[in-house]
Amino acid sequence: MSTESVNSETAQSTQQRRYEPPVGDASATEPQELDLAFVDQIVAEVGSGPDAVIPLLQALQKHYRYLPQAALQRVCEITEISPAAIVGVATFYAKLRHSPVGRHIISICHGTACHVKGATHVSEALRRHLGLDEETDTTDDRLFTLERVDCLGCCTLAPVVQIDGVTYGHLTPDGVARMLQDFLELQRRGVVDQRPVRDEAPIDGLAEIRIGVGSCCIAGGSMDVLGELQKALRAIGAPAVVKPVGCVGMCHQTPLVEVLVPGEPPAVYAKVQPADAEAIVRRHFEPRGFVRKLKSAVSQTVDRILTDEAWEPVNRYALDVRDAPVCAFLGPQQHLATELYGTADPLNLDDYLAHDGFEALRKCLTELAANQVIESMTRSGLRGRGGAGFPTGRKWELVRQAPGDTKYVICNGDEGDPGAFMDRMLLESYPFRVLEGLAIAAHAVGAREAVLYIRAEYALAVRRVREAIRICEAQSLLGDNIFGSDFSLRLGITEGAGAFVCGEETGLIASLEGRRGSPRLRPPYPANSGLWGRPTCVNNVETLALVPWIIRNGPEAFAGLGSQQSKGTKVFSLTGKVKRGGLIEVPMGITIREIVNEIGGGVAEGRSFKAVQIGGPSGGCIPAHLADTPVDYEALTGAGAIMGSGGLVVMDDSDCMLDVARYFLEFTQRESCGKCTPCRVGTRRMLDIIAGLCAGQGKAGDLEKLEELAIMVKSTSLCGLGQTAPNPVLTTLRYFREEYQAHLDGKCPAGKCKDLITYRITDDCIGCTRCAQHCPAEAIALTPYQQHEIDPEKCIRCDTCRQVCPSDAVVVE
Amino acid sequence: MRWWWSSHGRAHAIAFRATIKHMPKLTIDGREVEVAVGATILDAAHKLGIEIPILCFRQNYRPQASCMVCVVRVNGSDTLVPSCATKAEDGMEVESETEQVKTARRTALELLLGDHLGDCVGPCQAICPAHMDIPTMIRLIAEGRMEEAVATVKQHIPIPAVLGRICPELCEKGCRRGDLDSPIAIRLLKRHVGDYDIAADKPYVPECRPLTGKKVAIIGAGPAGLSAAYYLLQAGHACTVFDDREQPGGMLRYGVPEQALPRKVLDAEIHSIVRLGLELRPGKRVGRDIDIEDLSREFDAVLVASGEMSEETSGGLGLLMAAKGLQADRSTQMTATPGIFVAGSALSPSRHAVRAVSSGRAAACAIAQYLAGEPISGTDRPYTVRMGRLNEQEMATFSAGTPAYDRLVPAAGEAIGFSDEQARAEAQRCLHCECPGLHDCKLRKWAMLYQASPTRYRGQRRTFQRETTHPGLIYEPGKCIACGLCIQIAENARERLGLTFVGRGFDVVVSVPFGEPLAAGLEKVARECAEACPTAALALRAASAGEDTDEIEPVQAEQSGTVEGPTGDGSGLNR
Repeated sequence: MSTESVNSETAQSTQQRRYEPPVGDASATEPQELDLAFVDQIVAEVGSGPDAVIPLLQALQKHYRYLPQAALQRVCEITEISPAAIVGVATFYAKLRHSPVGRHIISICHGTACHVKGATHVSEALRRHLGLDEETDTTDDRLFTLERVDCLGCCTLAPVVQIDGVTYGHLTPDGVARMLQDFLELQRRGVVDQRPVRDEAPIDGLAEIRIGVGSCCIAGGSMDVLGELQKALRAIGAPAVVKPVGCVGMCHQTPLVEVLVPGEPPAVYAKVQPADAEAIVRRHFEPRGFVRKLKSAVSQTVDRILTDEAWEPVNRYALDVRDAPVCAFLGPQQHLATELYGTADPLNLDDYLAHDGFEALRKCLTELAANQVIESMTRSGLRGRGGAGFPTGRKWELVRQAPGDTKYVICNGDEGDPGAFMDRMLLESYPFRVLEGLAIAAHAVGAREAVLYIRAEYALAVRRVREAIRICEAQSLLGDNIFGSDFSLRLGITEGAGAFVCGEETGLIASLEGRRGSPRLRPPYPANSGLWGRPTCVNNVETLALVPWIIRNGPEAFAGLGSQQSKGTKVFSLTGKVKRGGLIEVPMGITIREIVNEIGGGVAEGRSFKAVQIGGPSGGCIPAHLADTPVDYEALTGAGAIMGSGGLVVMDDSDCMLDVARYFLEFTQRESCGKCTPCRVGTRRMLDIIAGLCAGQGKAGDLEKLEELAIMVKSTSLCGLGQTAPNPVLTTLRYFREEYQAHLDGKCPAGKCKDLITYRITDDCIGCTRCAQHCPAEAIALTPYQQHEIDPEKCIRCDTCRQVCPSDAVVVE
Repeated sequence: MRWWWSSHGRAHAIAFRATIKHMPKLTIDGREVEVAVGATILDAAHKLGIEIPILCFRQNYRPQASCMVCVVRVNGSDTLVPSCATKAEDGMEVESETEQVKTARRTALELLLGDHLGDCVGPCQAICPAHMDIPTMIRLIAEGRMEEAVATVKQHIPIPAVLGRICPELCEKGCRRGDLDSPIAIRLLKRHVGDYDIAADKPYVPECRPLTGKKVAIIGAGPAGLSAAYYLLQAGHACTVFDDREQPGGMLRYGVPEQALPRKVLDAEIHSIVRLGLELRPGKRVGRDIDIEDLSREFDAVLVASGEMSEETSGGLGLLMAAKGLQADRSTQMTATPGIFVAGSALSPSRHAVRAVSSGRAAACAIAQYLAGEPISGTDRPYTVRMGRLNEQEMATFSAGTPAYDRLVPAAGEAIGFSDEQARAEAQRCLHCECPGLHDCKLRKWAMLYQASPTRYRGQRRTFQRETTHPGLIYEPGKCIACGLCIQIAENARERLGLTFVGRGFDVVVSVPFGEPLAAGLEKVARECAEACPTAALALRAASAGEDTDEIEPVQAEQSGTVEGPTGDGSGLNR
């Protein structure tokens, strides 16, 4: 018998489990008389079958802003949905709320990039500022509700907070007050509303001003810039159009504007603000003169990326694609899934067709038999880009050969990894390409119905894909008898409701069928028994986006890229402590070092590259000394990580590996569906142990116990979530065991774990009083022109003093 | 499908090829078995008589694949699979008994136990050195079933009237009711049971097995020796007790004053042992009058229970001393000489007679196993998960339905003890911490078999909750392992509301939708759910009596509060 674990009390501060459902007391949460007529109306629209439950709940929440119990009960009265089903489903998905919320919702991003850049400090500062304790999320005046989101997909702006539609990036704890002030000011002026995406057809021979309208760019303010550019063009009557384009990938420079004047080299502007629009327009379409004012060295841009004031007006810089850093960023990349990056208008079908769009589908339907399509996939060596790398050709073959007339294809767009946003970008920027790939897959496996399952947070992606389907159907590129063949395809979109585990295909299918998104044991595999028990092909967004390229360019061209067993390219979101973050598409086989140093520009000056976290919560940390590991399914697995969905977070010597492991475990244990014991309880106990170590309460034997438990959870969990959840722990234990040992001894070498560090002001202090003025805990006495001191009793280790100190006199020990 | 494909990629190809219609033939632990198409690995194991632990699986229901204590290894894969949900396939090689599999099962059990809120046995019983079944005794007293109470007590304690007078009341220190007002007067209740038996027209006589022909010599007629004799005689072994004094009883007679322990009580209880056929040889000191080697020859086993040892006395017996007592295996209580056992203060000096009684009983079990030629398992303390201390609010929930009055004091004085009525009233104060599933809980069963530690993965304690709205059921969410069987049963039965999982992950709980009471959730299949529940999260009411114990009626509501006074006259407790 072993010793009792006591670290749990301090380790976790989650609410206690209570068996009363949170939909609980109707009278307490539903102050006013509810108008239930909407329920009847929406049921009439959405449907009343058991599979309608999630769309119904989403519609109800949109209407009531939460899910009133009375509304759910009304649904049960008028549909086939049982009370047990609706409550089970409504409480499974994180995006569904059961109590009223404040007027504005503050979403604090806790994605990996935001985490390593201090999201916790920001979150704590927000709570302090709003007077909210750990248990309360809504302010007394019901003005604000705090909400944690796992990733807003703006990793390059980290740490990020979104208030309603407005995104604030590069936040500091000290900046939250200004942020709220700014938001309320915008409110007062009435300028905060969702700005629709505008699309304009290009006109031949005209100059084009391209502006990124991916989420990162929009978060960076590109829609305002777009409006200003149009205004400026109209004002001077310039012969040019403004063209919204998909993601350029250089998310560290958003918003990006590219000006293309016939006969002139293209000019790219980074971090453009609305106020700059007029100047940019005038530079290209009026006699020169303002140019110098604008011009600035590219090298400067790099240093300014991570300012803490990015959401305030920042200086803008002209970028030239021929300049060295840009070349380095773009040089090693190869754009297959992201073909036409930064030039294609996401929703301009003519634009897509002009670049051989739907040519691959036409070829498949008119020239190739289904088995030839599959043969091409097999020869190309394409493997699933969701992460595990199952050969796509083989999967299609399995579904094609599975008995049954009704088959389905599903595009898995439930990208849930914190710190990964490749699929979002592909859906936003290349919706036609994904649809084309999906149609080819359907043709190959013999399906007549396709579903795109897209993560709840990706509102823009959903809008674009929906619009793209509409456009394609209007042009008969999708729908009945495509290209005059006998192939017809119905497409539908289902939005997720906030459950990472629905990225697992059986969880996804359960969710599509209107159930809790708990995975089930495989076999049977969806290829044999999937959606509604029919053979189902589930492919990841990126996989599908590569399909048209392979058909058009031939499988050999694809197989010619990459390594022995991993062919083609892979899209990564490169974030963390790297100079140039963004979305990159690189050939397989490229080394991690090349990605970090060449594309990413390495870590900040004075810091040393420590590790990359690859594969998100299911992946692992690969240490700097293994940076020559190639990006290859087998090589990464051998190193203890996985290809995963493509999150690549770079860490430097100021990052604590236990903190990283704890971060991912917190995520997976929160996202566990709760079905099987090893995942439901095991991940929590692992977290307890690590949290205890981080809090300086480790005990002898903890590391061994942690490792044993990790191995057990890995080998006995029901689905991939549980089976991979221990990877971040196992890899950090493998490569950074001495760091675990240090925590056991009460030290955090990286100076990250709050309970193990103290802040001190050195004699570099110039007595400027900034730290004292900004300290939220009054732990620093204001002593002008003298060296300041921190009272360790009062200090809450929020890091503000260190960040505001102009002379780097605050040290962590 | 993301990365989730990886672990099963290989199995996938196998699964696809194996769509063969003939009966699959596979091996489990090297033994070949053929099963029907569609059968699971669990079915195949059953066919071979291989036992696989299961919690969340129930025949004729959809496998939950939730508890993961039924995992097995298939074809040498790194990933273990739940046998209840994995279809048997042709050519499968299954491992069910390897260390890896056992460890995985044990860990799954330990994870469940570490998050399991409840006591298997009452804290009083866990702390009692004799591990007497105090909760059952109290329940029987409360119901006036005194003969059964006597039988219950005597399973562990042959001399309750004696110990009921001199016991150090360790059990009462463990009593949870002590956190509410005062502990149950367990010692006095035990004494009441003992006194009842002494005064009875037909005192309790345990059933003794037919004589085995085996003989045991017991050295010392103190509490340890007498206790051992009592249980050995019941097992059919003849016993002879040697003692150098004239009267049996050892320290009970020669060390405890008459005032504390009236001799007629002691005599009566010793008689209850002797009358089972015990032979007494008074005035004989082994080591002086008789040689222990002669005893060894004459008897099939010898038990040394002659009280605290010195170098001299042990030397006289030819046995070796350890630090405090005679050298013997702590678990089996056998010395280095096969057939010679030790009990009581001779093994481990103690001033508490109850320890001696417990030690004597343990020795009797060991000797019985030895005489039967079985391996000696040694007696363990009862396996239990512990709930620990409850806070005020939890205590209010826990004690709801029990009478509010404080501990009773014997109206006729401590020397006389409780009247029958008082004993019943006191017994009704018991909160019954013991689990209604104590004897059929599958989690406990497998935890004991796999020697799973209840504390290895203990986390933050859950909040104690108990839902009592249902007329036939009690629901304790803290004991739920989220297997989902009850949800499925309710769903199949088309219960109007039924049950559902609420929330997800670690925080998932089983609940009636819309916060409705359990009575509304389970209108049809309450009994089925309780029977299917692998723990006692859902338990039938009235575990002991089979009668309607909807609420224990508070005795004499107007009497709530302490009944004062050592010379009180019964204080109106006239029920």
